[in-house]
Amino acid sequence: MAAIAFRKLGKIFDPTGHTLPNECRQFAQSPQALVFGDRVRIYFSTRAVDKTGKFLSHVAFVDMSKDLREVIRVSNDTVISLGNLGCFDEHGIFPMNVLRVGDAVYGYTCGWSRRVSVSVDTAIGLAISRDGGLTFQRIGEGPVLAASLHEPCLVGDGFVKIVGGQFHMWYIFGTGWTRYAADAAPDRTYKIGHAVSSDGIDWVKEEARPIISDRLGPAESQALPTVIEVQGRFHMFFCYRQSFDFRNNPGRGYRIGHATSDDLVDWTRDDHTPALEGTEGGWDSDMQCYPHAFECDGRLYLLYNGNEFGRHGFGAAVLE
Amino acid sequence: MFAWRKLGKVFTPQEVPGRPWLQEFAQAPCALVLGDTVRMYFSCRPKPDAAGQYVSYSAYVDLDRGDLFKVRRVADEPILSLGGLGEFDEFGTYPVSVVRDGARVLAYYAGWTRCESVPFNVAIGVAESRDGGATFEKLGNGPVLSYSPGEPFVLSGPKIRRFGDTWYLFYIAGRKWKRVDGRPEPVYKIRMATSADGIRWSRLNEDLIESRIEEDEAQASPDVSYAGGKYHMFFCYRHSAGFRSKERGYRIGYAWSRNLVDWTRDDARAGIDVAQEGWDAEMVSYPHVFELDGRRYMAYLGDQVGRYGFGLAVLDGTLE
Repeated sequence: MAAIAFRKLGKIFDPTGHTLPNECRQFAQSPQALVFGDRVRIYFSTRAVDKTGKFLSHVAFVDMSKDLREVIRVSNDTVISLGNLGCFDEHGIFPMNVLRVGDAVYGYTCGWSRRVSVSVDTAIGLAISRDGGLTFQRIGEGPVLAASLHEPCLVGDGFVKIVGGQFHMWYIFGTGWTRYAADAAPDRTYKIGHAVSSDGIDWVKEEARPIISDRLGPAESQALPTVIEVQGRFHMFFCYRQSFDFRNNPGRGYRIGHATSDDLVDWTRDDHTPALEGTEGGWDSDMQCYPHAFECDGRLYLLYNGNEFGRHGFGAAVLE
Repeated sequence: MFAWRKLGKVFTPQEVPGRPWLQEFAQAPCALVLGDTVRMYFSCRPKPDAAGQYVSYSAYVDLDRGDLFKVRRVADEPILSLGGLGEFDEFGTYPVSVVRDGARVLAYYAGWTRCESVPFNVAIGVAESRDGGATFEKLGNGPVLSYSPGEPFVLSGPKIRRFGDTWYLFYIAGRKWKRVDGRPEPVYKIRMATSADGIRWSRLNEDLIESRIEEDEAQASPDVSYAGGKYHMFFCYRHSAGFRSKERGYRIGYAWSRNLVDWTRDDARAGIDVAQEGWDAEMVSYPHVFELDGRRYMAYLGDQVGRYGFGLAVLDGTLE
């Protein structure tokens, strides 16, 4: 089999050029594709500012031509409301992974709720669309996957795929919070885990087994797994970074990682084949993060964010 | 009506010297019968911090088996440490319910974290003791029962039981956060989950006890005993607003069941109410029924939900 490689298409969507619902201004993070006959709907998380000055992440979408060159429309209504008072998704949904299940579209949300001693906790919810992905309704006010005995915090970033009639979810779980300097806010570390389900609602976790080896050591944070099958082999893309000083230090920020598996149990990490490199001086020069792999008209694409965690939009690459 | 004969207050936390973590409150009593003592677990608090906020610990007092009003010993340290930074039980381990499992004693406890939009959230953890219930090790640093689609927040008040080969966890789950005088107050209902091993739980996902005094009635302390061919539950309930008063504060209710799923509420049979005067004249709450040397006792809290300790009543007659 020939080695696969990326051909970059550049940035394909900039949220600052559009009017977004919920008074969102910047950020188009964690793009997630749903392919239609005549278009690709790409969900992303964008941000509003609440009265305390903190961000609230909302889900919106952009419909694009199937070659990802033209913007057809941007959602002008709320795709999914934020959670109620005290619920796991009260302060943001970022990201939302979508897949077709029969006539419905399932949206696996990563809900954010603010804490006091640390900034936030997350959990994974399920919302279902019966109108082709325009709007989503929760199956309940709480999450389908949350902290558990050996996954104490920060369960999020679910990516779901049905393989052989079984639902598989790859997600992240927090291993803990650390204060790296006396006057610093606590920083989190998370790893990629795996759960299975027969119905997409009741999940059985592998429970704290990190399925992807660390490249940067125990303080590597891994996020946003996405899995695609290529010629009988499963490929996972994700992003990884150091657990502190990662926001403004390009040498410690997010990069795209990659692993392969033939059985969805054992994964072999290989970040170099294919490698996604930033383009010097470009929109993704300092950071590459939040990958999403999908197939459209026989081609394999990777959507991802660049500098500043996607403040200025997302781009794409073709897997060849 | 059951004939509970009040015996008086048995333990007063303010009288215990030399334990800064045990200054006020002795809440949610739970009995473990040892050789010549009855170990009563309870939850207590140090003085509040500068912002007026409490943490809570759990500990025990050993009562003389022949005279339950004779305190033989008070734990030197809390039985559980608070959780680490960002963990579900960082700010409290309260309340505790214990059960024997061979040579082990298992403790199920509610862990408290602090949130931004609501004051707290709660999930249920588990710990084990290998020394007869004196010290406990957490089985994980995350919860054994956490938020789910139908139980989105505030999973608290666990009561662990084993009937036949099955483990039963009775607990409360938050229904909604209700704004009362500008402050969010949780409304919670009694729920149940079952397990074959005490670790993997399957939820019933239904309220066990119908609400009687108002739709938003809060219910707590679902304490279940088996006697006379059926299951008996004593619990407590209160109004959703103004509940720090005598008129709308906690009272003890009763329900019975033959199968642990279908319960008939019959508060008129509970047989214990507030006193005319004294330590339990404003409220009675958090009942725990246990059997000792052929008699049934109820440990319960009085005014201010146990700020000044817990007391005992003895049943004249039998549970049937």
